[in-house]
Amino acid sequence: MAETDVDAGVGFTGVSRLRGKVFALLARAASWFGIVVLGLLLALVVVDAFGLAAASSGWYAGALVGFGAPTLIYAWYVTRTRPALRSVAARTAVLPLAGLVMAGGLAVLFVIFEPLLWFVYYTVSVLPAVLVFLLLRRQEDSRAPLVGGFVGAVGFAAASVLVGWVPIKPVTWLILLWVLVVPFASLVASRAGTDSRNRQSTIAGIIVVGGILAGAVLPRSVAVSPEVSIILYLSVLVPLGWYAGLVVSRERRRWPGLLSPLVLGAAGWLGLVLADTIGRQGPDVWLDWQFLTSAASTFPEQAGLFPAIVGSVFIIDIVAVVSFVVGVGAAIYLEEYAPTTGYTGLLTRVIRVNVANLAGVPSVVYGLLGLGLFVNLLGMGLGIVLVAGLTLSLLILPIVIISAQEAIRSVPNDVRQASYGMGATKWQTIRNVVLPRAIPGILTGTILALSRAIGETAPLLMIGAATTVFAAPETFTSQVSAMPLQVFYWSFSVKSTFREFVAPAGVVTLLGVMLSMNAIAIYLRNRYEQRT
Amino acid sequence: MDESMSENQSRGKETETSSSMGDFSVDAADIEDIPDSETIIEARDLDVYYGDERALNDVDIKIPEQQVTAIIGPSGCGKSTFLRAINRMNDLIDIARVTGELRFKGKDVYDENVDPVALRRRVGMVFQAPNPFPKSIYDNVAYGPRIQNDTDNLDERVERALRNAALWDEVKDRLEERGTDLSGGQQQRLCIARAIAVDPEVILMDEPASALDPVATSKIEDLIDELAKDYTVVIVTHNMQQAARISDKTAVFLTGGELVEYGDTNRIFENPRNKRVEDYISGKFG
Repeated sequence: MAETDVDAGVGFTGVSRLRGKVFALLARAASWFGIVVLGLLLALVVVDAFGLAAASSGWYAGALVGFGAPTLIYAWYVTRTRPALRSVAARTAVLPLAGLVMAGGLAVLFVIFEPLLWFVYYTVSVLPAVLVFLLLRRQEDSRAPLVGGFVGAVGFAAASVLVGWVPIKPVTWLILLWVLVVPFASLVASRAGTDSRNRQSTIAGIIVVGGILAGAVLPRSVAVSPEVSIILYLSVLVPLGWYAGLVVSRERRRWPGLLSPLVLGAAGWLGLVLADTIGRQGPDVWLDWQFLTSAASTFPEQAGLFPAIVGSVFIIDIVAVVSFVVGVGAAIYLEEYAPTTGYTGLLTRVIRVNVANLAGVPSVVYGLLGLGLFVNLLGMGLGIVLVAGLTLSLLILPIVIISAQEAIRSVPNDVRQASYGMGATKWQTIRNVVLPRAIPGILTGTILALSRAIGETAPLLMIGAATTVFAAPETFTSQVSAMPLQVFYWSFSVKSTFREFVAPAGVVTLLGVMLSMNAIAIYLRNRYEQRT
Repeated sequence: MDESMSENQSRGKETETSSSMGDFSVDAADIEDIPDSETIIEARDLDVYYGDERALNDVDIKIPEQQVTAIIGPSGCGKSTFLRAINRMNDLIDIARVTGELRFKGKDVYDENVDPVALRRRVGMVFQAPNPFPKSIYDNVAYGPRIQNDTDNLDERVERALRNAALWDEVKDRLEERGTDLSGGQQQRLCIARAIAVDPEVILMDEPASALDPVATSKIEDLIDELAKDYTVVIVTHNMQQAARISDKTAVFLTGGELVEYGDTNRIFENPRNKRVEDYISGKFG
């Protein structure tokens, strides 16, 4: 071959890349196929869920002009004339959105547990535990987590007794101020920097005063509940204000970038107004506030997903706690403690291989396992929250274990050696060196596994969960339904409106929850990669 | 185990026969004897096996207190294995097995009632590649005192350790920054500060400068000189000039995990008694 090349008088050509090029082309085609199909699916569901087909073209024209023109002008101003503003503008635009996602999560917690429960448990259990922990840690006492945990546990027991007999019942906004705003203010203040004690207390004071305004004054003038008002204040307004303060104090000239949420909001409002004046018919939105807050109904217009959303949140709470504790424990054992030599070492290897196998077992089988183990053998009820949560925990446990094992294994061995060389015990090494480095990876894997659990249908059907329940579950032994079950039921409904509009609305809600969970996982991973 | 013993005995006979040719013997006279009063670490018939493979072969050595002892030899000769046998880091390797005696201040560290964790708190270690924890500089140095629940005057002790490791002036204004953000040479001095923060009696160093540039290396060498005033330093090195520069005693290990010659550094480098050691030092092999 080489000789013929030389004979041809070339010598530097004749290396074929044909196969590589074909392979690259195929790979590109495959990935585009996947992306396009997925995008198409999402588009179809969104069109149905928001009834976009019903709107007239005039409405779209109005919306496009009203929203598009100001946004484009602002975007042109930012990107063309002042490129330095770009990052500020992007951040201020994204910040409220991320805040809204967080507010949604927080709001669900306050829907499930009433504010009075928060008040009692926070005051008697959480607050003393945190105070004791911080006090001991300031004195460099290594028993801080232990004592803090003990105080918390005792407080928890006391709180469970106290709940039935509370002498004072503060108004809701005061409870929220005490449970959310004050701790948040002290957290922000303590992060503000160690050298300026005065500035810290000013910041904390401003946040608390704002919280009082949001909780007590705003709900009276505008028709929102104090819960919604305070939660939105904390998760949207405070971060925005914080960031704006940073920009103004450090890079004053970039302030026009801060206008992006205002511009977007105003453009959205203008778009709606224009669309309604020009267009005859707006979109027939199915995924609205009513859909999210009402129970299932035989009338499509009144049907909602609320009990299923709360059910899913209940289930995912159990799954998160059980699979995280058991999964991370198992992963630590398998990676750090399990013997690797001799017959017990063989057993370890068998277990490791089979954990990977278990991750591939179909979810229906896990449903059968849940039915046999929890319902038949242990005599728990059919279709209750606890059984659903435990069954889904079993389902994702192998995935959690595997990802946690990977994260623990990726901790470089030389920092372990360094710790042992300092005379640290195995537990001290795991606690101080291995886990801090592995925890972001562990969290990422767990959250991705959780977002799989929240979309599971088959195992829930197997353990006898109802496809439709009319009241949100209140305890761990209530009958439960979940979002995918409800969607599944709607998709078989006799009324076509359920199939064509209500089910897509449910799908979009489910996807929204899953995508925000994945976004959190990606955020954690990026943060972790930046740090190491 | 019996099999491997007899195998080694037969190998011993082989060396005896070859010793008649004068080149390959390990003569007792080649291993210098240190008075017991000055000895801090003593090995007797120390063998280390990795599975069936013998990494250390009947090592007898006495290491003197508050001096720098260098261990040199070609790759795979058991230098690091010997170092890790002293503070029982070999325990962390499942297949490693130790026979014979290794005494630290007269106490056999492989005795049943010796806790390797307690031993490592008295015998510190610095590794080949700098391996600070991904924590702040302060927390790196404070790690040892904290795991021992001994946190009186922590600030003072961190400062003293950093000063003794000749790092204080470079980092005193940024103790909150991460140790992993320092340069390679600074990271290694941070690791040394971390090791001396708990005031060990011995510091073991496993090729501490092999991953560093010449400037950082010379800083580490100066530092080792200083450390020998307060601590016993045992250092494994690949670099013979380094051993000659910084050590008081030198031990030469050769292939097969054998300690071939041990004595004053000057004497070993100027007038080695063993032919193989002479070949190794003059660069004929290794």
